[in-house]
Amino acid sequence: MKNKYKIIILGITIVIIFILFLRVLNSNKTYQPNQMIGKKIPEFILEDLLNKNTKLDSNILSGKDFAILNIWASWCIPCRIEHPFLMDLKDKNQINIIGLNYKDESMNAKNFLKKYGNPYSLIGIDKKGEVAIQLGAYGVPETYVLKRGKIIFKHIGPLNEDAVNKILELKK
Amino acid sequence: MAGYIGNLALFFSLIFNGFLIFSAIKEIRSNNFNNFKIINFCNNSIFFLLLISFLTLIYCFTVSDFSNVAVYQNSHTTKPLIYKISGAWGNHEGSMVLFILILSLFSFVFARTKVSEKLKFYTVFFQSILILIFLIFLILTSNPFDQIDPKPLQGLGLNPILQDPLLVIHPPFLYFGYVGFSLVFSFALAGLVTNNFDKSWSKVANFWIILPWSLLTIGIGLGSFWAYYELGWGGYWFWDPVENASLMPWLAATALIHSNIVTLKKDKLHSWTALLSIFTFIMSLLGTFLVRSGVLNSVHAFANDPYRGVYILSTILLITFFSLAIFIIKKPKKSLYGKYSFFQRDNFILINNCFLIFFLSVVLVGTVYPIILDAISGKSISVGPIYYHTILAPFLFVFLFFMSHGPLLSWNKEDKFLQIKNFKIFFPISIVISLVIIFWFFDYKDIILILGLLFSVYLIVSIIFDWITQKKLSFNFGRLISHLGFGTLIFAIFINAYLSKEINAAMKVGDEIKIQEFIIKFKSINKIKKENYEEVFGNFLVTNKEKQVELTPSIRKYDRPVQFTSETSIKTNFIVDYYFAINLSEFEKEKIMVRFYYKPLMFWIWLSILLIAFGGIYQTFRLRNEKQI
Repeated sequence: MKNKYKIIILGITIVIIFILFLRVLNSNKTYQPNQMIGKKIPEFILEDLLNKNTKLDSNILSGKDFAILNIWASWCIPCRIEHPFLMDLKDKNQINIIGLNYKDESMNAKNFLKKYGNPYSLIGIDKKGEVAIQLGAYGVPETYVLKRGKIIFKHIGPLNEDAVNKILELKK
Repeated sequence: MAGYIGNLALFFSLIFNGFLIFSAIKEIRSNNFNNFKIINFCNNSIFFLLLISFLTLIYCFTVSDFSNVAVYQNSHTTKPLIYKISGAWGNHEGSMVLFILILSLFSFVFARTKVSEKLKFYTVFFQSILILIFLIFLILTSNPFDQIDPKPLQGLGLNPILQDPLLVIHPPFLYFGYVGFSLVFSFALAGLVTNNFDKSWSKVANFWIILPWSLLTIGIGLGSFWAYYELGWGGYWFWDPVENASLMPWLAATALIHSNIVTLKKDKLHSWTALLSIFTFIMSLLGTFLVRSGVLNSVHAFANDPYRGVYILSTILLITFFSLAIFIIKKPKKSLYGKYSFFQRDNFILINNCFLIFFLSVVLVGTVYPIILDAISGKSISVGPIYYHTILAPFLFVFLFFMSHGPLLSWNKEDKFLQIKNFKIFFPISIVISLVIIFWFFDYKDIILILGLLFSVYLIVSIIFDWITQKKLSFNFGRLISHLGFGTLIFAIFINAYLSKEINAAMKVGDEIKIQEFIIKFKSINKIKKENYEEVFGNFLVTNKEKQVELTPSIRKYDRPVQFTSETSIKTNFIVDYYFAINLSEFEKEKIMVRFYYKPLMFWIWLSILLIAFGGIYQTFRLRNEKQI
């Protein structure tokens, strides 16, 4: 009889521990989107995708009041989903969008832009994905909002209505 | 292709495992244990299949088969061969295969030892339940042989900070330790279930406790050594949750070794030994959970999938629940307390067992409490070295005192007067030695430092005394070595903590600075290119009144993935380490941040850890030979 109570107490303790740790697991600390926020973007110089003579220099970005840096690739399916949002941001809101073409073939990237339109004012070729890593990117697509070269907001994954509204708010 | 073989081997081992458990349950129901042949056959097959699976995985890594997800994510063709191989256990999936393989290896070896059939049967049975649980986990949530189609041309690479020769062997040692405790766990459950928890149980268990304990000691030592020279912060133990995760089973196992000796010698403390056997493995599982579930952010946190975390959490708690329930129901009733006397060896062991459990609780609370608090209230508190040092230090002194006298006491009679005589010898000697040290080296006197030195010297003196007067040296050699190692370890830690010096400065080539008693000159900078990284060396000359040392710390820029690591430069004369590191962020700018550390007795810390482990290994060999005779 006494053992029964002991086992019940043990069981309750275990359940409490389970619930506690479940909360720990769900608090999901591995996801840290603001790691780079507030920091200056790392320095890099990349060749432009469409124009061989121009270079994408991180110093140009630092000089700009407000800009968006978007990491994309032609092989990335979610990039196609977010593409209309980028086109809108450029056409309707006159936002300067800079592309970072991540681990891509130039031919495919150019075809992609021909097919879906080009929202970018400049596109850096990040063939080996080095710049993306320095930026602390989690994958493609990923979007950074820059104010005078400082990262003030970051969106992981394809852009959506909420993210676009947030960006427009930040521009004000 | 190789991937299919590995996968197939995994599935077949799962089938054999299911069959083993099925036929074992049938045997238990019919209550005859003469059919050990089938169980043994399954047990062997499981081991060989898992071995095949693990070797296949190593093969996939060696030939850079990127159609395998694990290889793709953790390897690269330009990586040196040794890191390709070690990449097999440098990731979540591969390390889980190693985890299960070791579970099975212990079961495999155990089935070949001389133990009563019934105990062996139940031990293998419980061990195979553990294997089953983790095999299902592996296959469902983290199969190492998952394929990608189409096959990528290149892999993503192994985290450069893990590309280090020491880390090739650090995880296996740690795993042999962690997972090795599973056997004592299963064996304890077997002993409980069959009501065989007695002296003969302890005799067999002794070997299976000390072996993984020694390996875990080496594993912790290697991890600490790696942190010392690779991370470049001048420290060797940071009370980081991951380090604590390996310290907790170590503390529990240390308590277990000693309580098991009492059970063996005096047929006492059965319940306590049984509980510690279970608890040690639960601590290993807790460590696995903390490291593997993504609860912590660290170099070790491979798994980011929340389902994995939930699965590990539930299985660990289920194992905890059932093992403790078995303990509650089948708790050994027999207890021969005999005549109680304070000055008796078993009593001193029991006292120190309590201290060890106290140390364990302090580490457990310090590790788990901040994590839970953060999740529940959103508050972050940081539990750092100050917490541990403040709480642990005073109790450590008392612990050392009991440790000095315990082994000199008799098991059966009270010998108070002999101990007072010993005290009269040890105390003056150690007080003279520690005071000489303190006045010779230190400008200021701190009571904690004085006590730390006094009690560690006291322990060392008592061991030397014990050694000289020892009649059964070969029998006690393992214990003497391990205890001596512990004494010198505490001594070195205290000296190191109080005599270490640190200098931080910004320097450019040609600069010369004078801080404290050191003159540091930044002579030159040069660059080299290696297979998978680029390295920039700084050349520094450090001068103090004792000597002149040239140090060349560097920064490495790895190709895949692009990452910078700081390589320290350490010169040692076995008394003092001169330790130099340069900062990552100011890479190739005009001035770079340099850090110089003066670290006394570091070599002795490593040597002490080796001594502790060596004592254990000696003991296991002795036990092994004893059994054969």
